[in-house]
Amino acid sequence: MESEVESSHGGDVSRAEVRSVIAALEPDQIVSAKEHHHCPRRRLTRTEMVLFWALRIYLVFMMGVVFYQIWTGVR
Amino acid sequence: MGEENSASRRGETVLLRDVVDHQPRPASDVVITHEDIDRAHDRERVSATRARRGIRPRLRLFWLLIGPGILVMLGENDGPSMLSYAATGARFGIGFFLPFVVLTFVMACVVQEMTVRLGAATHRGHAELIFDRFGPFWGWFSMIDLMVGNFLTLVTEFIAIRAGLGFFGVRPGIAVFCALLVLAIALLTHRYWTWERIILAAAIFNLLFVPVALMTHPHWGAVGRALLTWRPLPGGLTQDTVLILLANVGATVTPWMLFFQQSAIADKGLTTRDIRFGRIDTLLGATLAAVAALATMLATAPLFLHHMSAGNYEAAEFAQALQPFVGRWGAALFALGMFEAGMVAAITISTSSAYAFGEVARRPHSLNLPFQQGRTFYLVLLVEAVAAAGLVLIPGIPLVYIVLLVNVIAVLAMPPALLFLYMLVNDREIMGTLVSPRWANVLALGVVALLVGAGLLFGVSVIAPNALALIGGK
Repeated sequence: MESEVESSHGGDVSRAEVRSVIAALEPDQIVSAKEHHHCPRRRLTRTEMVLFWALRIYLVFMMGVVFYQIWTGVR
Repeated sequence: MGEENSASRRGETVLLRDVVDHQPRPASDVVITHEDIDRAHDRERVSATRARRGIRPRLRLFWLLIGPGILVMLGENDGPSMLSYAATGARFGIGFFLPFVVLTFVMACVVQEMTVRLGAATHRGHAELIFDRFGPFWGWFSMIDLMVGNFLTLVTEFIAIRAGLGFFGVRPGIAVFCALLVLAIALLTHRYWTWERIILAAAIFNLLFVPVALMTHPHWGAVGRALLTWRPLPGGLTQDTVLILLANVGATVTPWMLFFQQSAIADKGLTTRDIRFGRIDTLLGATLAAVAALATMLATAPLFLHHMSAGNYEAAEFAQALQPFVGRWGAALFALGMFEAGMVAAITISTSSAYAFGEVARRPHSLNLPFQQGRTFYLVLLVEAVAAAGLVLIPGIPLVYIVLLVNVIAVLAMPPALLFLYMLVNDREIMGTLVSPRWANVLALGVVALLVGAGLLFGVSVIAPNALALIGGK
């Protein structure tokens, strides 16, 4: 197995270390595996979109309230 | 060890790799990095300990697996949080807010437990999953919320550091410089495990508020009555009460906590077999943090009883005001606790920003990285901390107001962040059988409803204070 594996350090990773990594980590814990395999994008349903936008509008509105409070506080 | 992984692979959980790509990976794709080797060493210790029977190996396993939960909870007992608790005790005494703060920590447990499962099942950070699953449009919204919130909060951490050390006569510039030095030294370890243990040791000093509370000789009967009856609430429901209410919610449930704990769990290398310990870790952290929060309120309650106006107090002023009740040593412990709260949070919050940035920018992001390989990660962390520290040194900034508003902003930004978390943790494609059970979803939605309700109440209190008086029955 270790012969199939490259090291990001060139030659400074020993075979024992490679063996240890393969044995100790789950395959999707290895950094290069995570870099190469990303989670596919999911399609949002109409309800989810509405919820996302509603909470975004809520946040923008409430931030306006915070700024209003700061403005009145300063005055 | 091989057995552990085989068992995990055979387990019922559908891991991310199974759904991402069913093609066999070319051998040339597999590259072993320094980060992998360090993480593997940590996992070897876990596996070796797990293989042994008896109480001592179980305790050792617990010791090896705890960390992110305690760090996130004690990290959130930060400068603005402790100042909010202190202001609450000084303005309202022992009453409604004691059980209310306990409730906020229950909410924090519900939310953070979801990040434990998500991190252990996917081995990925929160920002990365949001970008991958919902796309960059929503991903950037979430990143902007996080980065703005984190930066503002970091500013307040340095305010607490400055104020805490100010009690001992340390000049602001020196206090801030020392804090930056401590933050940089912790990073020099280039090892997640060592970094985590150093910060855990520092975080335990959050409990300094407990002896201060005991020095005030609290009336335990009143404490028990308040916890059971949620009363009294002096002054009723006013704009001030709502601001303190929101500040206390923001003191326990904030977006950076989601990003930090999930990324820390992935960096620590926890797997689905470790979820139980992750939950205990979170619960233990919440308990310790709640004890420190309640102690802070009890410590400043004498200011309420003696009708001392503490509305605009900074951390050091609280310590000075408490001196007649707790003596010089008690006041010093209070100031030291404020410094610790700011210091630990400055480290954890800047780390959460660096994790999120690395995940989104697809740059290496781990505390196991040597500086050469994790340059972007460490630079984001340090630059953010230095910028926040610099702001604090500008004279004339209304510090107390900023501190209270930071917690309010955190509460307002939480519902959108929680929706992402809720959807991810119910996403069968990435979670497999680890999706949230119905009761957990009910609790999570309850937290969202409470947060939105608290935010709207704050909006009413600012825009239409008269309407608030009607709600309050006045």
